[in-house]
Amino acid sequence: MEARIDPPVTSSAELDAIRVERVSKAFPGVQALKDVDFVLHEGEVHGLVGENGAGKSTLIKVLTGAYTADSGSVEIFGEPVEQHGPRAQQRAGVAAIYQELTVVADMSAASNVFLGRPMRRGPMVKRRAMERRFRELGARLGVDIPAGARAGDLSVANQQMLEIMRALQADHRILIMDEPTASLGPNERERLYETVGRLRDERASVIYISHDLDEVLRLCDRVSVLRDGEMVATADVDAWDKEKLVNTMLGTELRAPPSRRHAAEVEELLRVDGVTVPGKLQEISFVLHAGEIFGIAGLVGSGRTELLRAMAGTQPGASGTLTIDGRSQPLPRTVGRALALGIALAPEDRKGQGLVLSQSGFVNVTMTDMRGLAPGAIVRSGRRKSAAETIAASLAFDPRRLGAPTGTLSGGNQQKLVVGKWLHRRPRVLLMDEPTRGIDVGAKGEMFAVMRRLADEGMAIVMVSSELEEVVELADRVLVLAKGQQTAILERGELSLERVLAMTFGVEGEAAA
Amino acid sequence: MTESPPSLPPDAPESRAERGASLLRQYGGVAFRTYGIIVAFVILVIVVSIGNPAFLSQGNIFNMLSQWAPAGIMAVGMTYVILTGGFDLSIASGYSLCAVVAAGVGILVDPAYAFLAAIAAGFFVGLLNAVLVVGVNINPFITTVGTGFILGGVTYVVTKNAAFVVPDMAFGDLGAGRWHGFPFSGMLLIAFLLVGGLVLAKTVYGEAIYAVGGNREASRLSGIRVRTVIGSTYVLSGVCMGVAGTLTASQLNSAQANLDPVIIFDVLTIVVVGGTSLAGGFGSMWRTVVGLGIIATISNGFVLLDIDVFYQDIIKGSIIVGALALDVLARRVATRSGA
Repeated sequence: MEARIDPPVTSSAELDAIRVERVSKAFPGVQALKDVDFVLHEGEVHGLVGENGAGKSTLIKVLTGAYTADSGSVEIFGEPVEQHGPRAQQRAGVAAIYQELTVVADMSAASNVFLGRPMRRGPMVKRRAMERRFRELGARLGVDIPAGARAGDLSVANQQMLEIMRALQADHRILIMDEPTASLGPNERERLYETVGRLRDERASVIYISHDLDEVLRLCDRVSVLRDGEMVATADVDAWDKEKLVNTMLGTELRAPPSRRHAAEVEELLRVDGVTVPGKLQEISFVLHAGEIFGIAGLVGSGRTELLRAMAGTQPGASGTLTIDGRSQPLPRTVGRALALGIALAPEDRKGQGLVLSQSGFVNVTMTDMRGLAPGAIVRSGRRKSAAETIAASLAFDPRRLGAPTGTLSGGNQQKLVVGKWLHRRPRVLLMDEPTRGIDVGAKGEMFAVMRRLADEGMAIVMVSSELEEVVELADRVLVLAKGQQTAILERGELSLERVLAMTFGVEGEAAA
Repeated sequence: MTESPPSLPPDAPESRAERGASLLRQYGGVAFRTYGIIVAFVILVIVVSIGNPAFLSQGNIFNMLSQWAPAGIMAVGMTYVILTGGFDLSIASGYSLCAVVAAGVGILVDPAYAFLAAIAAGFFVGLLNAVLVVGVNINPFITTVGTGFILGGVTYVVTKNAAFVVPDMAFGDLGAGRWHGFPFSGMLLIAFLLVGGLVLAKTVYGEAIYAVGGNREASRLSGIRVRTVIGSTYVLSGVCMGVAGTLTASQLNSAQANLDPVIIFDVLTIVVVGGTSLAGGFGSMWRTVVGLGIIATISNGFVLLDIDVFYQDIIKGSIIVGALALDVLARRVATRSGA
């Protein structure tokens, strides 16, 4: 029951915590990992960096047993990993601190740390002993959380600390931390760094994934870089600096030059000023022109989604002004208000927020404009059908598939419908959050064509994508966000992948703005 | 454990005014959720006992205990089921079935065997629900409505709704027996509430119940056997049906298929009025005790105060809806102040 972090019983002196050899993993259409080698020494903090989609998450899931590798081997403390699933992973001693936290809100802080393994005497829970142990653990990590506090009342930082304590308590000697500071404030970050330092002092092994390269360089002993599913470099931290990391993540191969873009019209359609969401976004201002594709680049957690949501009337706490048709007003507070202004949002989560999966394409693409299609509250199925078919045609969506429940469609087709559902209302501004996430290359091309065509018809399109190449290739102008701040707005002539990437990581900063 | 008095929140907002407002919201929410229901109970008792002092007499309290023992015992099982986020609507039919088994077997053999047979019947009813809910993975609401119909139908078909009267007077000892005026059935009720409460609050099993009800995925990732835990609560609820059916059969010295089809509503009301959340993960046995007290006091009070029985239903219904509305409001307050 003690959470010692001793060397493993079986080990000789030099045993690696994790040894990954030639691991590959493919998903339909994507080779997520290609012959990846990776070694985590005992007692080291090992940084893992790479662009979005470089394969970090897949590698982590292979390590935690959530995925099985197609080929290659994974050894944990010299033992090959064969079984899978959370119980097996726990027995092997690997704990992942997930980005989405897994605390039980209605239980106490101490109970959460001992979740699934309470200290016990026979069938009885030794609550006092648990609370004592909880305080010892807290002292060891330098945190002061009341043992009896309801977990749901704690800050995100403290909830995360509970997860770290849970891993230690369970005697897990390998911790995988995936973007642990993404949702933390500056003071909380410092505390987490301290905690990681203490973990190293206790000879725990940590894989530290972060987009904050300063943090990685400061905290880690070694850093590995993944690019396009390949492990391209591993070296001691002294051998790295920020530029080198960015260049390695990006690769040196030549990228295709940005394709020909439609000349952006100069007519101003909409202007937003001082968009602020407490803790997420500070004072974002920009102008949108009719007929342009406006890209927003930034890392996960940089406030991209919040910015779109603020404009679409679905972001609580957002403030700022919006000027359209020469009239200034506060940001819309409701979706209805945003739609009245001509602003529509195609959300990131197709299945959760975009579509009614059990219903047909007909229903989905027309439900945003029932008033237009159902005068007198009676749905005219003929009118609906022809409206849906018109929309399908403009999206290059096979109209024969409109009758199928949308849950049965491919990601690319679903995405078309998510966009299509707004078209009948003819919004003037279409906000698209990750329009190409998880869809295959061919569908991406079609989606880009649709976006360009809508822009040509005079709509302004705002797109957020984690794939910087896409943003650079498609957008007429790009707003770069870093940690909730507006770093720059790059015009067409200034756009390059290297530049945008450097800015999102904060290497090149305000000077360019 | 889930309701230890709120300690100071470790993450205080900046300004003092904000901090004060946040503390008020947080404590207000928690305190209200914790103590509001007790205050309501005390007020109710005072009102009824002023109206008729006989309410608090020993004899009346003993009678209430005896009368409410079957519903109260089933509420213990229901509390477990609801804490995991489940629902057991089969208890009315299961209860009748177990009572009929007790009486039917009691006609033939010694009462002790009849009681065991009834409890075994309850166990299997619970097991059936458990298999369907966590084995086949059907929604518990639908599952238990379905099994409720099946069990009720089976009981009618087999017995043709005939009353089984047990001639052996020893059969009635359990239900009607008293020790210095204290009914055995009341003792059984108190024992169930006590043991049920202790298991929930003090044991590893109880800890797992709260964990599973509060966050199923986190529990799974922590290595808790989620399905086993959920399934076990249905079995427990089944055993409670068995004991409750036995008690009623013994109290009446007989049983019939249409024993008390609406007892399900009493049981649900008891648990929900106490403040145990239908969403799972929040609640405790003392809440069920208070809920039982409130419902019993209302029913008894209306008789003692000589008020039309149909008003009872109106009041009961209002109380259920009111309790749920308060739960939602308190949760909203707690969420706003938390995290």
